[in-house]
Amino acid sequence: MDEAFIPLHALVLAMLPAIDEYVDDEAGVRAYITRYHIESPIELDVTTDAEGAQRIGTTPPLYYVDTSLRPSYHQMRFTVERGAGDD
Amino acid sequence: MTDNTAWQLEDFVDSLVVELDKTRETLAVKAVNKPLSYTVKELALDLNTFPSYDGEQIRFLTAQPGQEGASKVTISLNSITDQQVRATTKLPRGTTDVTIDQIDVDQETRKKLRKLGVSSVDDLEQLQERDVDLGQVSGNDIDYTMLAKKIQKSRRNQSPPTIGAVSLSVADDDGPCLLIEGRHLGVDPAFQPVAVVNEVLADVLATSDRELLIQLAPGNALRADNDVVVAFDQYAVVKVNVRT
Repeated sequence: MDEAFIPLHALVLAMLPAIDEYVDDEAGVRAYITRYHIESPIELDVTTDAEGAQRIGTTPPLYYVDTSLRPSYHQMRFTVERGAGDD
Repeated sequence: MTDNTAWQLEDFVDSLVVELDKTRETLAVKAVNKPLSYTVKELALDLNTFPSYDGEQIRFLTAQPGQEGASKVTISLNSITDQQVRATTKLPRGTTDVTIDQIDVDQETRKKLRKLGVSSVDDLEQLQERDVDLGQVSGNDIDYTMLAKKIQKSRRNQSPPTIGAVSLSVADDDGPCLLIEGRHLGVDPAFQPVAVVNEVLADVLATSDRELLIQLAPGNALRADNDVVVAFDQYAVVKVNVRT
């Protein structure tokens, strides 16, 4: 896999905010996010490893300037929800 | 960027599922030390690809920078409950099941069966049990009589007859008899085994999975060296040399 790319699961996890819960002790308020829905263009590098399995390398758009050779932007969507057993 | 190789949808989805599993596993670990747990409910990719068909398989080449005119393939993975998994997943093949790759049929027939979702003999038998007319679906292209025979042959190859002992007995009414003992001998109840002793046809008096009793023809007593040929069924013919 090209070094500019990371596995898809790493990208999904990296896109999730590190803080799930927001607590204000003084105000006595506790808030949490119940659902994330993220949609993003990504660049893709699909390669085949020695065992014949596909390795899906991904990265958010690498460049923010308009160039004559435009990257092919694929689209990724995912939804993450709070577990059913949480208070 | 590394070499851009064409991929099959099946392989890509497999890898995507693995990625989704890794995401879920990481979130599950994170939930151990965090007050809240999160799960991935949906993961979808819109891929810009160039599909190609080589006559047998469709492969996709991921669009590269600067390439125009790509087709869009959308793959969505949704969460699935354990109940749904049980309802939609086929149990792993049993040890006695025979895959269609093990049957001696031509490639074209094998391909047609695969397109019908038939990957093993058990699949075929399940369809037969439900009285599904595969001839109609396949346009009568598949010779099912031939196929049934190949399946029987393949099954028989998996459990061939083995002979452990041969002994001579003299029954009261039946005269001298040869008793053949072993495993997987008379397995087809629809087929009466045939025995030839020293090139003379002999009567088979009794047959079972473990025994076969052959009545020697009058005047065909055993010699010092005897050739015994037994057809247990149409796919299992055994020749043994019996010395007295």
